[in-house]
Amino acid sequence: MMNFSKVRRGLMAAALAGVAMASAPLPAAHAVEIKGDAKIAFIYAATARDGGWNEALDNARMAVEADLGVKVAVVESIKEEATALKNAIDLFVGRGFNVIVATGYGYSEGILEAAKANPEVAFMNASGATNHANLEGFYVRTYQAWYLAGMAAASTSKSGKIGIIGGFPVGVVNWDVNAFALGAQAVNPDIETTVVYTNSWWDPVKEGEVAEAMLDQGIDVIGNNLSSAAPFIAAEKRDAKSVGFQLDMSKHAPRGHLTSVMFNWDKHLVPTIKAISDGSWQPNEWGAFPGMSDGVVSLSSLSDDIPADVKAKIEAAAAKIMAGEMTPFDGPILAQDGSVKVAEGASMDDGALWGMDFLVKGVKGTLN
Amino acid sequence: MIEFLTAWLGSLPGFMTPLLLASLGLLFCERAGVLNLGVEGVMAFSAMTGAITALAGYGPGAAMALGALAGLAVSIPFVIAVIVFRAPQIPAGLALVAIGLGASEAMGRDAAHKPFLGLQPIPWPEWLTDLPIIGRLLFEQDWMVILSLLLAIVATWGLFRTRHGLRLRAIGEDPATADAAGVDVQLYQFGALMIGALLIGLAGAYLSVAGSQIWTEGMVAGRGWISLALVVFAQWMPVRAIFGAVLFGGAEALIPRLQAQGLEVPVYFLSMTPYLLTIGALLLISLSMRTSQAEPGFLGRAYTRQDR
Repeated sequence: MMNFSKVRRGLMAAALAGVAMASAPLPAAHAVEIKGDAKIAFIYAATARDGGWNEALDNARMAVEADLGVKVAVVESIKEEATALKNAIDLFVGRGFNVIVATGYGYSEGILEAAKANPEVAFMNASGATNHANLEGFYVRTYQAWYLAGMAAASTSKSGKIGIIGGFPVGVVNWDVNAFALGAQAVNPDIETTVVYTNSWWDPVKEGEVAEAMLDQGIDVIGNNLSSAAPFIAAEKRDAKSVGFQLDMSKHAPRGHLTSVMFNWDKHLVPTIKAISDGSWQPNEWGAFPGMSDGVVSLSSLSDDIPADVKAKIEAAAAKIMAGEMTPFDGPILAQDGSVKVAEGASMDDGALWGMDFLVKGVKGTLN
Repeated sequence: MIEFLTAWLGSLPGFMTPLLLASLGLLFCERAGVLNLGVEGVMAFSAMTGAITALAGYGPGAAMALGALAGLAVSIPFVIAVIVFRAPQIPAGLALVAIGLGASEAMGRDAAHKPFLGLQPIPWPEWLTDLPIIGRLLFEQDWMVILSLLLAIVATWGLFRTRHGLRLRAIGEDPATADAAGVDVQLYQFGALMIGALLIGLAGAYLSVAGSQIWTEGMVAGRGWISLALVVFAQWMPVRAIFGAVLFGGAEALIPRLQAQGLEVPVYFLSMTPYLLTIGALLLISLSMRTSQAEPGFLGRAYTRQDR
């Protein structure tokens, strides 16, 4: 399907990233030296202003321009296939570009080839699953903020039922779903979280219909893990609350929007590109995986509909997460069937996070 | 259970209507012997045009109308290629998909992700809308739903009860004979493709103007391809297309609702159901003897007079 993977295609893949990263260790990294001043180019798989994944990255691109005082070249709608990517990269490299930022999981293989062929060019790939001496994939711990959003959702639900709409049931989506449910349970232990996977990254008609179906069930807070506006509009019409993702989605639901889990890729890209410029950049051999403490993911401002005591709780939990004192997946974590996934006192490691293939207790819905 | 049925039936026409309109449009093309694979692209272009019109402040009626006209406009290269130059229909149709998708993405850039007020349900007294089971099905629908059903009936009448319809079908079956009988093959094919493009355009516009009330690229999401299967399913009969669209739309409307119920059914299996339905229905049809003649005999082939 032509647009099957348009938005956040990367995420599905990022789920596999753990596997890929675990199986292909690389020699110890050393600083990458690019020739001359940084000449930066961004490569998008769809339009840059797509209202979600690419737009969040494109906002970071503008921040890079402002911060470094350079003009960043952009190319859009480069298909996620090796030949299309290779042509784009070859053109850029031929014109003297030496910092290439790609933005999709589907670029993982192609960009690895390009990185090997161009050792004096620095490569980055958002949600990329490959790494090399001069290539770093990056994603962010979105589940941390989804946990907090779950607290906000539970505090405003009157029916005790909340819902979340996801794309495909893969690790990086499942951790958002589970964290959303766990956060909600931290505020109201009896809350019921319904998840629906649309089996698509992009189908506004279906997403709107899922939201309608949820509202018909008495669900009164909808978390949208996808990027179309349809679920927000549906919720807004029926006076329900909503939680957004990727960008501040409050414009789609001025009344019911509680908060959005936002990407702030500039917090990762600006310092990284600065490090590349001054010759101190060392790509992590497993890829970069920042979190709330780095500011790369955060919540947009909290709605006034959230009670003050819950707001305080959310802020306290945020502080703890950022300080590394807790994670949303601290044990005991039980799966839907009651089996123990993380024991009391333990926490989930990154490998288990990437491979998350279960739903926590209290979630209504099914994977696969 | 009653609430579930009420809500599901209430959402069904919204899914049925675009499928019905698109398959009616396609049916006209195919009855005239032209296989139009471009539906997906035409719908995308019309959805974009409808959204831009609505965003510009015109009413939903104008948005639907312009969407339909846009379907016509974007189909022109296909129509010229296929009718004037007798180009092979399959590649021409696939090219139309690319043209429609590409043009909608290029022209719709600034309109993407902007909600607008689209087509609203016809207002009925609340006690009617609140009726169990049938309340939302009958009294919470927009006028396009009714229009699409009427169009199916009008199409039946037009194809099977008028002289023009007879000529159109004759061309699809055997253009040489129709030609010998004095029918202008190209003129009729041109007319059929125009009507088809308008209907397919309406289907696309319905998706954005009535369905999502927002436009984004890729929002047709395969519905054009499904309508191609629907025409076969309907055995090139407009009224049967209603049943097909209800069946497919019903399945499409059911999936998210079952999931929201927390039913333990695999998502991937649910997503397969419309296609399983297609195969099942086609099997049933092919098992019954008399339908083997339903497909227009000259479908997909170019007719040139000197070849006869």
